[in-house]
Order: sequence, then structure tokens, then C-alpha cells
Amino acid sequence: MDSTLQPSASTAPPHSRFWLRVRRNPVGLGAFIVLCLLTVLVVFGPSLYRVAPDSTDPLNILAAPSPAHPFGTDELGRDMLSRLLYGGRVSLAVGLLSMLVGLTIGTLAGGIAGYFQGWAETVVMRLVDVFMSIPSFFLVLVIVTVFGNHPLTVVVTVGIGFWAQMARVVFAEFTKYRGREFVEAMHALGASHARIMFRHIFPQVLPQAIVLATLGVGWAILTEAALSYLGLGIQPPLASWGNMLQNAQAYLYSNPMLAIWPGLFIAVTVLAFNILGNALRDVLDPRG
Amino acid sequence: MTAYILRRLLQGGVVLLLISAVTFLLINLAPGGPTSAVSLGRTAEEREAVLKQYGLDRPILVRYLDWLGGVSRGDLGKSYNQGLPVASLLAQRMGNTLLLALSALALTAVLGVGLGVLSALYKNRWPDHLISSLATVGMSVPAFWLGIVAIIVFAVQFKWLPSSGIFTVGQEFSLADRLRHLAMPAGVLAFTLMPNVIRITRSALLEVLTSDYVRTARAKGVSEQVVLLKHTLKNAMVPVIAILGLITTVLFSGSVVVESVFGWAGLGRLAIEAANGRDYPVILGVTLLVGAIVVVVNLLVDVLYAAVDPRINHG
Amino acid sequence: MKGIRWKFGIGAVLLVGMLSLGGGMAQDYDPNANLNLATNADPTLNPWTPGAVVESNLINTIVFDQLVRYSPKDLSPAPGLATSWKVAPDGLSWVFNLRKGVTWHDGKPFTAEDVAFTFNDVVLNKKLGAQNAGNFSKLKSVEVVNPSTVRFVLNAPFSSLPYYLAYYAGILPRHILSSSENPLQVANFNKKNPIGTGAFRVAEFVPGSYVRLVRYEKYWGGSPKINSIVFKIVPDPNTQMAQAISGELDFVGVSNPALLAGVERNPKLQVLRQSQNLYYFVALNQNDPRFRDVRVRQALLYAIDRKAMIDSVVRGYGTIATGPIAPLQKAFYVKDVAQYPYSPEKAKQLLAQAGWTPGPDGVLQKDGKPFEIDMPTGQFGYLVPATLLVQQYWKAIGVKANVNVMEWNAYIQKMFVNRQYEATLAWWSTPPTPDVTPYYASSAADKGNNIPNYKNPDLDKLLEEGLRATGVQEQVLTYRRIQRLLAEQLPYLYLWYPDILSVRNERVGGMADINTAAAFQYSSDWFIKR
Repeated sequence: MDSTLQPSASTAPPHSRFWLRVRRNPVGLGAFIVLCLLTVLVVFGPSLYRVAPDSTDPLNILAAPSPAHPFGTDELGRDMLSRLLYGGRVSLAVGLLSMLVGLTIGTLAGGIAGYFQGWAETVVMRLVDVFMSIPSFFLVLVIVTVFGNHPLTVVVTVGIGFWAQMARVVFAEFTKYRGREFVEAMHALGASHARIMFRHIFPQVLPQAIVLATLGVGWAILTEAALSYLGLGIQPPLASWGNMLQNAQAYLYSNPMLAIWPGLFIAVTVLAFNILGNALRDVLDPRG
Repeated sequence: MTAYILRRLLQGGVVLLLISAVTFLLINLAPGGPTSAVSLGRTAEEREAVLKQYGLDRPILVRYLDWLGGVSRGDLGKSYNQGLPVASLLAQRMGNTLLLALSALALTAVLGVGLGVLSALYKNRWPDHLISSLATVGMSVPAFWLGIVAIIVFAVQFKWLPSSGIFTVGQEFSLADRLRHLAMPAGVLAFTLMPNVIRITRSALLEVLTSDYVRTARAKGVSEQVVLLKHTLKNAMVPVIAILGLITTVLFSGSVVVESVFGWAGLGRLAIEAANGRDYPVILGVTLLVGAIVVVVNLLVDVLYAAVDPRINHG
Repeated sequence: MKGIRWKFGIGAVLLVGMLSLGGGMAQDYDPNANLNLATNADPTLNPWTPGAVVESNLINTIVFDQLVRYSPKDLSPAPGLATSWKVAPDGLSWVFNLRKGVTWHDGKPFTAEDVAFTFNDVVLNKKLGAQNAGNFSKLKSVEVVNPSTVRFVLNAPFSSLPYYLAYYAGILPRHILSSSENPLQVANFNKKNPIGTGAFRVAEFVPGSYVRLVRYEKYWGGSPKINSIVFKIVPDPNTQMAQAISGELDFVGVSNPALLAGVERNPKLQVLRQSQNLYYFVALNQNDPRFRDVRVRQALLYAIDRKAMIDSVVRGYGTIATGPIAPLQKAFYVKDVAQYPYSPEKAKQLLAQAGWTPGPDGVLQKDGKPFEIDMPTGQFGYLVPATLLVQQYWKAIGVKANVNVMEWNAYIQKMFVNRQYEATLAWWSTPPTPDVTPYYASSAADKGNNIPNYKNPDLDKLLEEGLRATGVQEQVLTYRRIQRLLAEQLPYLYLWYPDILSVRNERVGGMADINTAAAFQYSSDWFIKR
């Protein structure tokens, strides 16, 4: 049933055809550009727009946009633009890093299980079953409650919520390739298991992993936002789009813009990742 | 088939045991104790008396085995903060969550399949683009955000729908009232779950539409509608069943947030209340129940899958 | 020696009678009306059960009468199930005369045995760990003198006893609960069918949805004017406010003043600004030698612009706090104590005197160590934003606070149980009695409610004197001295007394304005206008 969720495998197409498909997919390209812009904005923005995101100003709270505060100020008089930039840094970082955690664990576990089969398969795939049986959000909820909400904990737990899906896909692919002739040939030539796994099989699996990971970033950003809504995500004074949204809740009637901006940034970012993921699927796997 | 089901159930049991052990360990590592014992203004003496009542002065392994023994006798323990048997708390909340989840699932299935079919029939034309944009947006908007906005619009501004709760007190048996309360939470959940169903339906349908036997049927002059209904949809249903099964897991996750936003007294809210109040027996109970549901649903989906698609063979 | 006497009985009955006569003639209320209230989680319908806190307090106040109530006029102790009381000259025992003709919701008569059971077998039974039992640590036992008289026997003088008897101290039915092993954990009572003597009895409890109360016709104060009260369970304060605006709820307590933005313009809703003996503070852990220097404590308070904090954090709904006794205790509160108007310069001066000099990075240092403060806070109400503001104010004078936002239970464990903190911002809410022993006595440091672990023998002696005082004049003098001492020494850095805000639909009448806790003790007077 997984085949429905992921693109099926394909070998990387020659470059010319690849670029042709990219050009035929302007929406995906657009999403990519939006993401690049967002990244530039949150990485370099704060060094151009030098207003501290946590500097409070109780005499100037909930101010309307002005030259001093282009996006106004929040309930503690903090500059919204600066918080959106720094918050974006955190949200994007959480999204990317936790996806990386999920990708790494998932690929390693899935790869080992798929390549060696036998008991490795049993252990890993039963564990995958366990994780797939606990709705990931419950898992994240319990872990964050237990280990506290240090940013690193949030990253790791969100990543863990994602690894099982990745492991399944990689497992299926590795299972498919391990019997192929080229693998057996490499083996005969005395290549080590690690070399075969990483140099020869992994590149075949990469396109799918990339697609899944791209979609995973969006999922991770949404999950962090939802955790923050429940007060379990990234904690102040560190800003994230999720906790900005949570803070804004009390001001929905009086100052809806406090909630609209971070909500919009989350939606646009996740949208871009999702469009990009779908576009990559089309580009890397034309049959999908 | 029976052997397969039995094996799967056995595996499921092992999975649940693992889940319970991990959860038990994790929650006991958490800082802070049950709210009824550890709260601001509670003296050390009171705190210890209450912890002792709950047996929390015993070593963790003893407590786990004790709990496990209880479970084997069908006793899930008693809530620390509520003083009620966990089983009865779960039963109370389960019905509400099922109501919400099934409504959302039905809405997701109907809308998702409908839009997916439309999307496939108008492949690469504007309805297809519109629907796929809608689906992508649905995947990208935080559910709680959508819920809050919905409350502002439909409950506060227009006063069309109640902002929270399951029914109006005194109208427990009014169907219209129930539906009004269901509309927003189920709608929000469905909107965020639909995208997958739309996409899968679309691609499954496209695959079948371009397959040989449909082309043959068309060539034989069978009308478009008949082709669509008889052959195509039936075959396209296979992956859709699968995705609906997968969604069950997502549904329980999504309901945690949506139940909080809409004050829906379901399992999700129970889980959050229990986690915040360190109500260990309730946390364990919810985790176990949700795990069991997912195991059973996954099994059901696989069996159904096999029934619909005879190519799959479970040896 | 003269004892303190309260004899409100006859006067109060007359007053209530006149009021109800006036209202009754016009019949301007709807006797079949239903009042809609909210609570944030499933309540536990037993005021003493561990864990029965905010979500249960208001319902329990209606269902379970207490011996004493707060006067809706000035919050002084007024008759409840007890009609009058008298303290012995040595301050070690109190006699309470109980109201006659009171019945439980099941029709059985209420007697002195019920009071004795509640205190001897429940509150004082250490194994049960009853909620708020700590308030009665000076109580030795309750003796039944005759069916309508009880004597409270104390270990030490306790002049605030009547105040605490009005503070979430509902009386339980002996005939229902005495047979159970743990009277606090009877599920059928706590979650379904509690029996009290209050104006309303529980008719229905649908977990996760609502609790419905109906009027108790045989209530000793006369049949209540409202037919039923429904407590809806609405966890999210935003939703509660939305429901108040849409008219689904008649009365909502407002935890965050920011939520009032949608309400202030609504003609149907009335915003109530009430007071309670509640103050926010910053505690500086006195086990840390840096904070034992009074100049450092004073400096850290001078550095905070409390006026600006009140304007932003509680939207102006609050007043600068000067000590633990809030202005609503008119007889005791003194304003002319040491004040700490916002002055970063003065703060820096005081710190310089204490040996803290600017370091290379702008952070103050002493003996080469930078002035860094570990400041955990919990996710509750507006603790987090308030803490962040304090952090910024301290930063401005070169003191670096490392704020660590924690989940609430974990925070309680760290800060309150283990006292692992250097500074933290929290609040105390107490009955409106001037006695503050539980929060300031040396004996309450390190494990009790003395969060900053402040130890001062002079203060201990004054607190003792206050408890011993039997005359009002004597009490007033002692507590003024205590307030002056506290303002000067700052065991806690006093921030503000918040207004207790609530929103009430204008259709509700007869609800005392003074504060919510008192208003709910007189639910039989409430009515819904036609």
C-alpha cells in the first residue's frame, strides 16, 4: 500500500531531459525560487534589519506599522518584522534539521534492513510498525512532555515522528536492488557492504528520498507549529512562527495581524515545500 | 487467511506491549508529578501522602508489572487526577472521538474521491489545476489556525455555528444540533486530510483509464459513463482504501489539535489533559487504546485490500 | 480580655428578606431561567479531593456550604452554616454555633457531626493528603458540643481561622462518606452525585461536556431564584470569551485582559473589575548569598518599571503592589511604606554599593563572576511575558537573567518542590486575612510556601504576635509593622495586585460585585432578568 504514497523508483534521467522537465514545471520552479528567497530573507535579513527580536518596549505595545516598526509591535512591544525574520530562521531550521534527523535514521535503518534482510529486517521493520502504530503526534507529545522543550529535543522528536515512513520506503527500494546483477557483480569484485550500500544502491534510492524529505520539511514545520499551539514547541524568548501564532491567540479580535503574519508565513513556506516536493516527483519520476 | 490474521494480531499484541513499556518508562522519567500531588501551595507532607496513595513510592519495575497484571485482568487502573477508572474515562471519550473521526473520514472520502475523479477527468485543464491547488493549500495550512479562523468567521462574526462543544445542553437528541456542532471540527479535519485522497484517486484513476482493458472497452463502444463507473472506479478504489486506512493514524494525531480548538471532549483532549496533569494511568490507557485501534485498522485495510485486489496473496 | 464576636445572623436575615421582598413584588426575574457558566476541565465535586482546584472551586462553592462566608460588603467573615462564633481568651479554641433546620440534598438533617467528620476524619487525616489541608495545620481537632455547636481546638493561636473556614472549606456529609475507606475518592460522589447543603444540587454530570445544577427547593436561605445552572466544560479561554460574546455564556472569568478587546464595546456585557488578595512577585532565592544583601533585592526592584509592566502585561488592570496585604483589606493595608519607583540609576548605585561593577561585556560582576541569574518560568497565564519583561529591565542595568520556559508541572517540580532556581516570577492568592505566616515564616522556608526561603527571626516574632492578637486594634498595629518591615526588606519583590476581571451578561442580577469567590457563596440571590 505504500506504493501509493511514494513515487516509484526510477533511474536519474539524463541532464538534458531533466532540465526540460524542470522548465515544463514553472510552478515547481516558482516554489523553489520562493523558498530560496525565504531562506535568504531569514538568513541574511537580520543582519540588514538590525532590530533585536526580544527587546521589549512596554510603552509601545501592539503598535500599528510605522517607519520604526514596519510590521508593528507585539504584546510586549517587540518588533514584529524582526521576530518574523528570527522566527523564520528557527522554524525553517527546525523543519530542515528534523527532516534531516528523520532522513538519516530512516535511510540507515531502512537501508540496513533492506540490504541485509534476516534479523535486521525483523528488528527494524517491527520497530517501524511500532512507530507507525503510534500516531506520531502522540509520540511527539509524550517525548516533549518528558524531556522538556529544548529546541534540540523538538528537532529530534519531530524527526523521530518522521523516520518510520522514510525507513519503509528505503527498505522497499533496497530490497528491490539488492538482488540486482550489478550488486552481485560488485560483491564478487570484493566491494564492502558499506560501499555497495552507499555508493551503488543509495544513489538509486535518492530521488525518492529527496521527494519524501521535501514533503517532510513541510510536515515538520506544521508539526512544530501545532506543538507550539499546545505550548510544547519552541519556547520563548526564542521566536518561532509557531509560538508567535500561539502568543497571538489572545489578540485575535483586537490585533488579528499578529496571528495573520506568522500564519501566512507558515502556510506559504509549507505550500512551497509541498509544491516543490510534488514537482520533484514529476521531474525525477515522470510516471508518477 | 485465518492464519495470516492470527499472526498479524499476535504481532499487534507484541507491538502494543512494546508501546506500553516505552510509554511507561518515558512518563515516569518526566519531571513533575500528578497535579493532584504536586502543585503550587501543596505542602511536602500532603504531597507525600498523595503520592503514597497512588503507590508512586514503589520502584518503577514493580509498578509496571503491577499495571501489566491489571491490564491482563482487564483493569486499566484509576486516574490520579479524576479518581475514575481509566476504562470508563476512555469509554466516555472514545465515542466522541469516533463520532468526529468517522464524520471527518466520511467527509474526506466523499469529497476526496469526488474531487479526485473530477481532477482525473479534466486532467491538465482548469478544474484539475483548481482542485490540485486546493489540495496543496489543504496540506499546507495548520489545522488549528484554520480552526481558529473558522471560529472567528462562522461563530463570532456570522453566528452560524456554535464555537465549541458536542451538543447544546438540553438538545442531546437533536440531530440538527449535533450536525451544527460537528460541522466545523469535521470540516477542518477533512480539509487537511483530503489532499492525499484527491491525489491518490486522481493518479489511480488515470492509471486505470490509460490501461489496456479500458481502452478496449471504449473501442468496443461502451459509453463513457459505463466505463467510468463499472470498470474504472472499482479498480481505482484499491489504493483509495489503503490511503483511508493510513489516514486513521493521521486522524488521531490531527484530532488532538482540533479537539483542543473546538472543545471536543475526545481522546485527544484527554491525552493532553493527562500529559499536562501527569496522570500516568490515563496516558498509558490512551496510548494503548489508540495503538490498538491503529493495529486493527491496519489489519482491516490489508484484509480489505486483499479482498478487492486478488493479486495480493498473503501466504 | 475581650473576644472577637461576630453577630450578623439577625441583621443579615432581615436584609436578605427585605431585598427579596423588593424583588419579589416586581417579579422582574424569570423563575424558570437557566444560567450558563463555564469551567476549563471536568470538575471534582468534593472540595477536599487532591487535585480539585480551579476547575472545581466555583461549582463546589455553590454545592457545598461552608461554615463561614465572605461578607459581600467588605469580605470580612460572615455567617454561613455557622451563625456566630467566639474565640476563647487564650486563643486556643473557637466555638461555632451552627444554623438550625439545614438539610442535605438528600433531605437528611445537617448536624455538628458533619462538621466534626469533615475536619477530624478528612482534613486532619494525614493519609488522605486533602487539598488545602495545610491551611488548617494549627487545628488539633473539632469537638461536638451539642448537635448545633462545635468547638475547634487549636495547637496555637490562629486569629484567621474564620477566614480560612470561608476559603474552599466546604462541609461534607458524614452519613454518606463516613463508611468509605477514603472519603475523598468516592467516584460516585465526586463525579456523579455529590451531596451538599448548598443552594443548588447536581442533577447531571456529562464528563467532558457539562455539569447541570438545579435549585435545591429546601435550601435554608429560601428557594433559589434561578431554576438551573449549567457549567459547560470549555478548556480554551479564547473560546470561553467567544461564547460570552455570542451570549452562550452568562459569566466568564478573564484570565488574560487582552481577551477583553472584543468585549469592552459590547453593550450586553459588563466588565467587572474586582479585587482579591492576590499579588504577583519575583522571588529571589535566599539560599543564594548574592540575594541575601538587601541592597541587591532593592536594586532589582528599582530596575523594574512596574507601571509600564501593568500597562502592557495586564493592560492597565492592576495596581503596584507594596506587600502581601492587598488594598481590599481596608482595615490593615498601609500605603506609606518603602516605595521603589522605577529608577535604573538608583538600581545601579545600590548594586555598586553592594560591590557589583560593570564588566567588559556590560554585565555587572563581583569578584570576577558575572551577575547571571537562572530564571525558570512556567507556561501559565501571563507568567512568560511578565518574566521576559523583567529579563529586559534587568539587562538594562547589567544583570543577565537566563530565562527557561518550562511546562507547568515540570516548573512546579523544579521551582517549588526542589527550589532549584535563582529568581522566578509567580503569584500568591490568599484569603483576605492579614496573616501571612505560611508564606513568610522561617519554618516555611525550603519546603513550605516560603518560596524565596527567606528567614528573618524579627519577622517570625511579629507574625506570632499577629496570630496571638485577639483585639482588632492590636492586630492592625502588628500587621502595619509587618508590612513596613516587608516593604523595606523585600523577601519577595512585589510587582502588582491584578484586578480580577470577569465578564457578565447584563441579564444576570443579584450577583455581588465585590469578587467572584464571595459572589458564588450567595448563589441563591442570583436571578435572571426577564
